[in-house]
Amino acid sequence: MDWNAFLDGFGVVTEPNNLLYCLIGVLIGMLIGVLPGLGPTATMAILLPIAYNASDPVSAIIMLAGIYYGAQYGGTITSVLLRIPGEASSVVTVFDGFALAKQGKAGTALGIAAIGSFVGATVSIIGLTFLGPIVAGYALDFGPPEYATLALLGVFMVASIGNGNTVKALIAAAVGLLLATVGSDSFTSANRYTFDTLQLQGGIDFVVVAMGLFGVGEILYNLEERHGKVHVPAAIANIWPSRKDLKEASPAIGRGSVIGFFLGVLPGGGAVMASLAAYATEKRVAKDKSRFGRGAIEGVAGPESANNAAATSSFIPLLTIGIPANASMAMLFTALLVVGVTPGPSLIDDNPELFWGVINSMYIGNLILLILSIPLVGVFVKILRVRPAILAPITALITILGVYTINNSVFDIFVMITFGIIGYLMKKTGFEPGPLVLAFVLGSLMESNFRRSMLIFDGDPTGFLTRPISGTILAFLLMVLLYPLVKLLFRRRTPATTPDTENHDQEAGLR
Amino acid sequence: MSERDTRAADEPDILAEIQAEVARELEEDRPPVGGPAYQVVAAIVVLVLGLAAAYLAQGYGLGTLQRPGPGLWPFAVSVLIAVLAVVLLVIGRRLEDAEKFSRASLLVLAGGATFVGLGVLLPTIGFEIPSVLLCMVWLRFLGGESWRSTIVIALATTATFYLLFLYALGIPLPHLIAF
Amino acid sequence: MRKSTTCLAAVAGVATLALAACGGVQNTAGGGSDSGDYPSGAVDMPVGASAGGSSDLISRQISRGLTDELGGTFPVINREGANGALAAAEVAKAKADGSTISVQNASLFTITPLAVSEDEATSIDDFDVVQGVSRDDYVLVASKGSGFTSIDDFAKADGKITYGTTGVGTGAQLACALTYNVNETPAEAIPFDGGAPALTALLGDQVDTACLQVGEAIENIKAGKIVPLSVFGPERVGFLPDVPTAKEQGLDVEVTQYRFMTVPKGTPQDVQDAIAEAMQATFETSTYQDFNETNNLTPLEIPGDEVKAMLEEDKQRYADLVEEYGIDLGNAG
Repeated sequence: MDWNAFLDGFGVVTEPNNLLYCLIGVLIGMLIGVLPGLGPTATMAILLPIAYNASDPVSAIIMLAGIYYGAQYGGTITSVLLRIPGEASSVVTVFDGFALAKQGKAGTALGIAAIGSFVGATVSIIGLTFLGPIVAGYALDFGPPEYATLALLGVFMVASIGNGNTVKALIAAAVGLLLATVGSDSFTSANRYTFDTLQLQGGIDFVVVAMGLFGVGEILYNLEERHGKVHVPAAIANIWPSRKDLKEASPAIGRGSVIGFFLGVLPGGGAVMASLAAYATEKRVAKDKSRFGRGAIEGVAGPESANNAAATSSFIPLLTIGIPANASMAMLFTALLVVGVTPGPSLIDDNPELFWGVINSMYIGNLILLILSIPLVGVFVKILRVRPAILAPITALITILGVYTINNSVFDIFVMITFGIIGYLMKKTGFEPGPLVLAFVLGSLMESNFRRSMLIFDGDPTGFLTRPISGTILAFLLMVLLYPLVKLLFRRRTPATTPDTENHDQEAGLR
Repeated sequence: MSERDTRAADEPDILAEIQAEVARELEEDRPPVGGPAYQVVAAIVVLVLGLAAAYLAQGYGLGTLQRPGPGLWPFAVSVLIAVLAVVLLVIGRRLEDAEKFSRASLLVLAGGATFVGLGVLLPTIGFEIPSVLLCMVWLRFLGGESWRSTIVIALATTATFYLLFLYALGIPLPHLIAF
Repeated sequence: MRKSTTCLAAVAGVATLALAACGGVQNTAGGGSDSGDYPSGAVDMPVGASAGGSSDLISRQISRGLTDELGGTFPVINREGANGALAAAEVAKAKADGSTISVQNASLFTITPLAVSEDEATSIDDFDVVQGVSRDDYVLVASKGSGFTSIDDFAKADGKITYGTTGVGTGAQLACALTYNVNETPAEAIPFDGGAPALTALLGDQVDTACLQVGEAIENIKAGKIVPLSVFGPERVGFLPDVPTAKEQGLDVEVTQYRFMTVPKGTPQDVQDAIAEAMQATFETSTYQDFNETNNLTPLEIPGDEVKAMLEEDKQRYADLVEEYGIDLGNAG
């Protein structure tokens, strides 16, 4: 790699003008991350004219990139405080983040998330700096069969991460898969479950489902729960993560960062898979699995590090082979075109100052984000001191107006309300929304890649086994599924040597 | 990790753990558990959903494995849902993860109705008036706040959203007041 | 509470400043302005594609030009879905007063009807075509691993050749399907959700060939990562002068994508004229011309009625070809 260009890149970033753009981008990103509905993609689209007008194209790109990763962190805040995941990759943060907040440890959760995000992103930028082109090549080895099996693995992970009954988790996941099929089929353009409504032809937006099931469901549930009770303000135990928290979280942050970096490179679904895999990993390696879902700090640290690492490594396909990995990257692609640069294999040679300027701005941007978020954690945590009676209508408005802004569609508001009521009823009957939402995200990935695979294999399903990567993934899946059984056998044979610390329900819940 | 470190880190931990324990107990202060009827009804609803979806899916055309039709995947998933629902029906009767509905559940209906109201009014009269109304209903009637704070908070919230969406972020949102 | 509100307001303030510094606060949607000149208030520009695709880029470029020429705002609203049918339906239903306009794709009117049932097909008769915009050519590219360097090499292939397309009912699918059918090569279509995933699959050798828009493929063609075999326009593409057309290679296949400005049927003529004039003025600007250049778009700045005639002719031609070769676009897989 070209060290001079790399260092020149730092020169570019530290120009006051660019630093300012970076700061503004990160700030706007954080703000829109906090507002559910309006995602980074839409914001980048709105702010795209800046790219036309900016004196220096690098500044504009730095700002837009800042919006993207700033939003990643902002989304965590609502997940932890209000149980509203702004995007698919922060759904798993809700499980333990919100539980921690309920225990007055929102500060711990947000603090660890900030640190994890910083570390995850930084690890990923370093990876991007040194391994970018190599890793981009491996992403290309992932074809439809690999995505199909990866998504299958994801769905099984989804069913295992909850705390409730396994059958119910599987049902929720399966319903999520079914909901993902709503809309016009992308292979035949046949309409499925649209009931002749044009608005459903395009499918249901993830944010609408997530905000309905989590956000609105929670608001409605609390309305009933709160009735006739005196509000005791949540004791805010400690705003900062203690040394013990840090110690507990750091291995999780490390693992999450690495998982995130590698999965994030895969276009489409990489970030979701990353956060999911990080959570599943933490739960698996933990000694006491029952803490998960009830406020385990690793349950926040792992996925948060992973999704930020993934967000960063999703720049790799864009910058090295000219392929946008997700909608936000597509926006950035657009911005690059606007400033007269076509991202592609030759970007690094043709425009080194842009390539390194953008990458190095991420080091600085993440540092700014960390510095900013530390005082802000204190402020945000105070939101929990607000009486629920006051917080509820404000949250309600955020969700409704937020959902409207996604597609400027009133129809989406009603869909969200429907999911809100479903979410409430699920909570009453012991179903968790998490598996449903995550399976929903993985559903279309799984279906379309399965169908593509069958076309490529000419209808022969053994093709999944003979390809090295998909075969390995399937073998791994099988191992994970059989592991509890084997362990059970092992334990029966040598009852004296195995400390029986885990409870059996949990073991069953993992299957 | 040295032993001294461990011990030093341990002391505040005990406090934190007790707090967490208390919080966990508070969290588990939940309404009475719903009986088997809740589980059975839930399972039957899921079963009906699965069967209905499967019926619709086979109408979309299943195709073959070689050329999967649009209905094949949803059909497989729907059948899976139905099978899981039957399993739940058999093994789930004695689960204790459901909660009884109470009179307070009616509040949920009221809350949901305000959401729908806002959705209906938004395109016709803009977001300001419905937002203020929604806040007032939630604060005063569902939340039991005083009239004074109800009005202040309702207006302040709506104004903040107005500025945030229309000015700070420049997002289209139907609104009545234009400057 | 008050404190957090203040904080939020402060953050909002920063954002406002940032926005104000670069282009001004937008007062969009539904404002109560009722002055006579066009546009009064904001004009929605739904686009039937996600942010970042060619259609989206073009819409945004035109939106910017219209803002410069006419004043007011022309927010581009992404209404992805059904190859643009969703956005089209929205425009068709909108008030015919110029408050909703949309740059649309030819393929939605000429090719999609071949793939979907009759009642789902979008008809050009629901719109008035105001002005042509530009043409975007398709190119047939092969992966390095496939070893193909020309269409003639297909004969050497053993077994079916797979080709990635950018979706069902797109020009890319039709171009590829026709090529293989006319050339009598056994092949299988693998539809992807747009150009980027199809290109990724091609780069990774997951499919042997793919039909893509020139703009999507050109960087990787230049870098030598994929091999162009044919273009499908009436003549060679200026950006890829060495790539022969299908006709030159003896295959009667001509498929192009072009875009044009539409308004709901019955929009007043003076509004249509104002839009057309503003667009023509935009076409003259060097920014716009540079935009076409970077995005590999060939100008097709012809009047609306010519576009309409072209659409009808292409639709008939494609329908005939599809029938002749027995191609079923709707059942690609």
